[in-house]
Amino acid sequence: MSIYLLQVINGIGIGMLYFLLAVGLSIVFGLLRFVNFAHGAFYLLGAYFCYQMTRWGLSFWLALAVVPLVVGALGWLTEKLVLRHVYAKPHEFHILVTVGLALAIQELVILQWGPLGDSVAVPDLLQGVVMWGSFVYPKYRLFVIGFTAVLAVGLWWVLEGTRLGSAVRAGSESTEMVSLLGINVFRIFSLVFALGAATAAIAGVLAAPIRGAEPFMGIEALGVAFVVVVVGGMGSFGGALVGGLLIGIVQSVMSTVWPEGARLMIYIAMAAVLLLRPHGLLGRKG
Amino acid sequence: MNTAMTILRKNFHLLLALAFVLAMPLTMQSGSLASEVLIYGLAAMGCNLLLGHTGLLSFGQGIFFGLGSYTIALTLTRWPLPMPLALALAVVAGAVGAALVGWVAIRQRGTYFVMLTLAFAQMFYFLAYSMPGLTGGDNGLMDIPRPSLAVGGFTLWPLVSPWQYYGFVAVVFLVAFWLLQKVSASVFGRTLLAVRDNEERAGAIGYDLRLLKLQAFVISGAVTGLAGALHAMMTGIAPLASAEYHTSEMILVMTVIGGTGNLLASLLGSAFYLIVGDWLSTLWPRWLLLLGVVLMVISLGMQRGLWGLFESAWNRLRGAKHPAKAQEGTPVGTGDKA
Repeated sequence: MSIYLLQVINGIGIGMLYFLLAVGLSIVFGLLRFVNFAHGAFYLLGAYFCYQMTRWGLSFWLALAVVPLVVGALGWLTEKLVLRHVYAKPHEFHILVTVGLALAIQELVILQWGPLGDSVAVPDLLQGVVMWGSFVYPKYRLFVIGFTAVLAVGLWWVLEGTRLGSAVRAGSESTEMVSLLGINVFRIFSLVFALGAATAAIAGVLAAPIRGAEPFMGIEALGVAFVVVVVGGMGSFGGALVGGLLIGIVQSVMSTVWPEGARLMIYIAMAAVLLLRPHGLLGRKG
Repeated sequence: MNTAMTILRKNFHLLLALAFVLAMPLTMQSGSLASEVLIYGLAAMGCNLLLGHTGLLSFGQGIFFGLGSYTIALTLTRWPLPMPLALALAVVAGAVGAALVGWVAIRQRGTYFVMLTLAFAQMFYFLAYSMPGLTGGDNGLMDIPRPSLAVGGFTLWPLVSPWQYYGFVAVVFLVAFWLLQKVSASVFGRTLLAVRDNEERAGAIGYDLRLLKLQAFVISGAVTGLAGALHAMMTGIAPLASAEYHTSEMILVMTVIGGTGNLLASLLGSAFYLIVGDWLSTLWPRWLLLLGVVLMVISLGMQRGLWGLFESAWNRLRGAKHPAKAQEGTPVGTGDKA
C-alpha cells in the first residue's frame, strides 16, 4: 500500500513538472492559435544552459534565476523575427516554421554539447532525503513540488489579476476586438511567447538534476506536453494543472505495475479522455 | 498527332516520374540511395495526399511506415509467405493502422488534429517498445530476407544487388504513382480539394467530411505502409527507429520541401532531402541544422516548395517568349493534376 502512496507523491512531483511544461504551450495556443512545436526546444535549452552554468562552477540557484530570463528573451526574439511573419500565411506554416526552429535548436545543442547527454548535480542544499517516520522522499523532488506550486500561483495571478493577464484572456477570445480597444496585440503576442518559452526553460532547469540533459529530451517533452494539453483542454490554465497531475500520477503508478508500459499508459489515458470528452477535461468547446 | 499530344499532356507527370526513375541509375553511384529516394518518395506522396489534398497535417506517418516494416519483417522471417503477398499484407497493415488512428484523430480539427497525430506516433513508439516479443523492442527485427521474384522455383527477377532491387522498387513506385494520380484526379480527389479549401462549405453541400478524411487517411496509410515494407526489405532490418518521431518528421519535411501542389513534387522533396543530405552529411554531420533553416525559409517565403520554385522559373522562361502565357501560372495547391 505504502509503495502506491509513494508513487502517487512521486507522480505529483512529475506532474507538476508536466504542468509547467504544458502551461506555456497552452497559453501560447490560447492567444496565438497555433501549436508551438519549438516549445520542447526551449525546455531543452533550459536544461542545457543550466548544465553549462553548473559546469562553469556557478550555482544551480543562479541558473534557476538567469536561464528562464535568457530563454524568455530568445522566445521574445523568435516571435519578433520569425513568427510575426507567418501569421498571415496558411495555418500549416505556423506549425512548420516552429518544427524547423525546433530542429535547428536541437542540432545547435548537439553541435555545442555533443550527441550524448550528461548529468547535472543536485544542489548541495537539497541533497539527501527527508524522513517522516517510515516515509522517505528525496529533498530535491519535494523542492520541485513546492517551487512549481508557488510558480503556478504566481502565473495564475498574472493571468487573472493583472492588466496583461486580462488582455491575454481577452485576446484569446477575440484578437481583433482587443486591438480595436487600443491595445497593441503584437506586443502582447511577444510577451506571451516569451513567457511560454521562459516557463518551458524553468521546467528544463528543474528537470536537469532529475534526468540530466540530453539532446532528445526536447522532443520527448513536447510529446508529453501535448498529451497534458489534450487531456486538460487547450488554452486552459486549470486544464494544464489537472492534466499534468493526472498524467504524472498515471505514469508514476504504472511504473511499479508495468515498468515497460508506463510511457505507453499516458498515451492510452489520453486516448481514453479524448474519446469520452473530446475537448479535454476542462476545455471549452470549439 | 493531336491524340498523341493529348495522351502526352494527360500523363505528363507520369512521364516525368518515368524519366526521373530512368535518370537515377544513369547519374547515381549508389543503388541503395536511389531506391531510398523512390521509397521515401512514396511515403511523402502519402503525406502529400493528406496535407496538399485534404489539408490534414499529419505527424503520424511514421506509425504506418513502422507498421509496414514490422509486418513484412514478421511475415518474411516467421511465415513462409511469397514476397508479393507479404508486401500486400504490409499495405493492408498500413491501411488498417491509418483507419484506427484516423477514426479517433479526425474527430478533432486543426491544431488538435495535428497534436493527436503526434501523440499517436509517440503511443505507437512506446507500444512497439513495450512488446519486444513481436517487434524486437529496442533492437528491432533483424535479418529480413529479400527473396527474389519467382514462380514455381523459377527465378523471374533476382533482387540480390542494390540496382536489381532498385528496378523492382521502381516498378512498384510507378504503379503506385499512377494509381495515386488516378485517385487525385478522380471525383473523390477533387472533393478532397473542396474539403481542404473550405470545410464548412463542403460540409454544407452535404459531403460526409469524416468519411472523406478517413478514406484519404486510409489511402495514405496504405502507401506509407508499402514504403515502410520496401525500406525494411532494402536494409534487412525493421528498427524501432522507423516508428520514432524522427521518421514522421522526415516524411513531413520531405513533403513540405517538395511542395504540396501536386504528387510529383513529393518525389522532388524526397530526392532533395536524401541526395543533398547524403552529400552534406559527409561534409558536415550536423546538416540537419540547415534543414531546419530551410524549413523555416519555406514556411516564411516559398510555401509552394521546390516545385513552386521550378514552376515560377519555368514560367518566367516561357514568359520571355510568350508574355501572354505567363499569366497561366497555377495557384497554390490547385496545380495541374494531369
